[in-house]
Amino acid sequence: MQRYIQRNPVWSAVLALLLAVLLWLVLAPWSQGMEDVLGRKRVFLNAVFSGITLGALYFLVASGFTLIFGLMRNVNLAHGSLYLLGGYIGFEVSEATGSWLLAFPVVFVLIAVLGLLLQHQVFRRMEGQELRQTMVTIGLSVVLADVMLWIWGGQSYTIFLPDWLSGPMTLPIISGTGRGGEVVYLKFPMVRMAILFAAIVIGVAMWLVLNRTRLGMLIRAGVDDRDMLTATGIRIQYVFLAVFCFGAGMAGIAGIVGGSFQSLSPGEDTRFLLASLVVVIVGGMGSIPGAAIGALIIGLAEQIGLVYAPTYSVVFTFLIMAVVLAFRPQGLLGR
Amino acid sequence: MDGTNAMTSRLGAVSTGSALELRGVTKMFGALAAISDVTLTVRPGERRAVLGSNGAGKTTLFNCVTGDFLPTSGTIRLFGEDVTTFPAHERIRRGLRRTYQISLLFTGLSVADNVYLACRGVSRGRFSLLRPRRGDPLLTRSAELVEAVRLTAARDRLVSELSYGQQRQLEIALALAGAPRFILFDEPAAGLSPTERAELVAILTGLPSHIGFIIIEHDMDVALRVAESVTMMHNGRVFKEGTPAEIETDPEVQELYLGGGHG
Amino acid sequence: MADITKSRTDTPTLWVERVHPAVWALGLVMLFMPAFANGFWLFQVFGWTFILGMIALSLMFLAGYGGMVSLIQMTVAALGGYGVAILGPSGVAQISLGLPWWLYVPLAIAIAALFATLVGALAVRTEGIYTIMITLAMASAFFYFTRQNYGIFNGYSGFNLVVPPQLFGVDWRQPVPFYYLTLGCAALAYAAVVYVARSPFGLALQGTRDNPRRMAALGFNVTAHRIAAYTFAGAIAAVGGILLVWQNAQIAPGTAGLPAVFDILVIAVVGGLRRPSGAFVGAFIYVLLRTFSPDVLTAFGLSNERFKMLIGFGFLAMVVFSPDGVLGLWDRWRARAGRRDPLTGKERG
Repeated sequence: MQRYIQRNPVWSAVLALLLAVLLWLVLAPWSQGMEDVLGRKRVFLNAVFSGITLGALYFLVASGFTLIFGLMRNVNLAHGSLYLLGGYIGFEVSEATGSWLLAFPVVFVLIAVLGLLLQHQVFRRMEGQELRQTMVTIGLSVVLADVMLWIWGGQSYTIFLPDWLSGPMTLPIISGTGRGGEVVYLKFPMVRMAILFAAIVIGVAMWLVLNRTRLGMLIRAGVDDRDMLTATGIRIQYVFLAVFCFGAGMAGIAGIVGGSFQSLSPGEDTRFLLASLVVVIVGGMGSIPGAAIGALIIGLAEQIGLVYAPTYSVVFTFLIMAVVLAFRPQGLLGR
Repeated sequence: MDGTNAMTSRLGAVSTGSALELRGVTKMFGALAAISDVTLTVRPGERRAVLGSNGAGKTTLFNCVTGDFLPTSGTIRLFGEDVTTFPAHERIRRGLRRTYQISLLFTGLSVADNVYLACRGVSRGRFSLLRPRRGDPLLTRSAELVEAVRLTAARDRLVSELSYGQQRQLEIALALAGAPRFILFDEPAAGLSPTERAELVAILTGLPSHIGFIIIEHDMDVALRVAESVTMMHNGRVFKEGTPAEIETDPEVQELYLGGGHG
Repeated sequence: MADITKSRTDTPTLWVERVHPAVWALGLVMLFMPAFANGFWLFQVFGWTFILGMIALSLMFLAGYGGMVSLIQMTVAALGGYGVAILGPSGVAQISLGLPWWLYVPLAIAIAALFATLVGALAVRTEGIYTIMITLAMASAFFYFTRQNYGIFNGYSGFNLVVPPQLFGVDWRQPVPFYYLTLGCAALAYAAVVYVARSPFGLALQGTRDNPRRMAALGFNVTAHRIAAYTFAGAIAAVGGILLVWQNAQIAPGTAGLPAVFDILVIAVVGGLRRPSGAFVGAFIYVLLRTFSPDVLTAFGLSNERFKMLIGFGFLAMVVFSPDGVLGLWDRWRARAGRRDPLTGKERG
């Protein structure tokens, strides 16, 4: 962080200014004139918070994708299918047992095992042939999409939340003033705050594992220079397996999260594949902090765009990606 | 090659005291300086040898000059024109050429096609969608080049079928395409047999006198026979400059290089 | 691989003599197909094969000669189709401009080629595997955009009643005229790719695929060559897209949805990315599967919707067992057959 500020003082200043403006917009009560120009503050706040939670969900999906890519140079285009499959299985588990929480370990293990099989049975056989591996994942995504359509049909599913997560919670942020002049605080769905909290915890945990453990050290070394890692005689296959399992499992539990506060239906797999692609292109391939920043930017752009320019919200996402590609092809935090 | 002639006359307006001029060129890889503060001037038509042990920064120097990567600091002037930030192809179109230490050839193409591509690269019609007609001047020119590096017998063979020595000769043919004015030779003699070395020396000394070059060479015999002046590099810095005779007899150089196990 | 210098110095042969007799036979069969095939085969099977083949051919050009696996080709084709629907007449009168055909067809191709150029300009900034990701992301962005945008692309419903112009008093959507129209366009596109592959531009493109660094050191602007390849391929894809919208008489966001985008990759890979003819072989296999797999699946007691799975598994098998496609399989079979003694059937040493 400090090094970045030293190296890019101008960009750091611009970023800090943007952040300050955003914070001020969120925290300060809006005057009448501002509401005339920007609309109701409540609408804006809702868009921002929805954007942040959507970003949190994108981060859950994309972090596994970016790790797998960074380490194995394998663009897993079946990642969206793993997300959707995880969601469907989570739905079945929570329906059958009545326990929402139980769905998480079950789905994580099942999808991680699927990831293990893929890595061990398919990708390991074409090591170093990146293009071929990627094409295999395309074939898998086509097959998986059809299998899921076969089993769960075309209707959409929503996973029911436990009572303690449903309903709104009040945040200590002013959303406006009531008719009598009293201050009204922002109400926001409890589950979304929980997702944000979970994403932060998972993100920090991943960062700690990557930066503080031996496995993390191996993974980072592998992301930087795979040949070096192989040459040191470390059993890189085990590292690959661990990362692939973890990335797949993360996509699976992200499916439960997505299925709880949005819905599951055919087509969601490609939506989240696209989200993961854009997030890692913007954030930088193989970088966890990059995925977090990319996810936040894309989530915010999508939700704010949806509120203020519904037709063009996709264009915002696309424009952000194009601008990043044009000026920093390796992504914001990529190398 | 009328395009190149126009370029030559245009550049003639700029004062061209030197063919290549490096000022304080430094290239960092992370914290490691591959070359640091290299200042070097080569006159048009001059033949210069750059000597130094492995890791002295010779190939990095070439890569900076051709634009394979940009130097961290310093300026590079080619025939008086500041080309420091130019992409590689722009420098090539100004008459600079280079050969590679490890041959970078199009192994799936024939010898003649390789040379044809090289000729095409420095002339107009690079984007032409029309196949060349019989009697296309570029075809004639590439046939001459193939002849000049003594590969006529192998002109229709794929590069992957050539012997190592023939591939090295083809490297030189690619560097001679168009109207070269300055060439960088990166260890052209490496791995050649004594006969092939003699042939190489003949090719190099037979170059038209207006073409200057820098040659990186470990074989002192080859280097000192084709070069008029010598630059010694050590740890990324210019260490000594002089005539071949001066360098050969310099005690410091002998200590560092000739006694260093090379030969 | 191309060898433009060689054929020029050999003893001159007429170009007709250099074509394999089997190719002549195939050409004749294609030319007289309407004499023995019914309308369904002409319009649905062969027409569709030629159209998909052209779009896959544009991908083959980029991937095979340029080393860039672009997933944007179906999107470029769809933009060509949209161009015809928006600039020309369609059932959505409040958007379509109804320009004359000699204006809207070239315009549509030009717009699509321009779009391909822009995408290429962004995509070539990165290499290899990244190209797939970036072009895929842009392809999906286009899909979602057309679905949301009602002002230009008429959103979810798209355009209907988009038909070819009644040129020379012929209804070009009738099976026989449409067959010849698509055959002609496909043959032209094929010939163009084969010819350009051995032109200076094509040769240089193959050079940038094998050795970009050396190409720059020979004076070639590698980036510009790659972008130009996107333009060329984009124009071919656009023609395919226009024919596609004429065949279906309608276009909607789903035309360039991700399944369709992947289908083009499947076709090109199954056919084989090494040779232009692979695109059409792959397209023919795909169209046969799409057309007849429902019957086969029903016969096995499966729902006829499962053809996707069939195609997915077919693609997987191809990628795993024969990365150079059906034509690669054919080459290897020929090589093995060539080594066999024709009388005893044993392999020669």
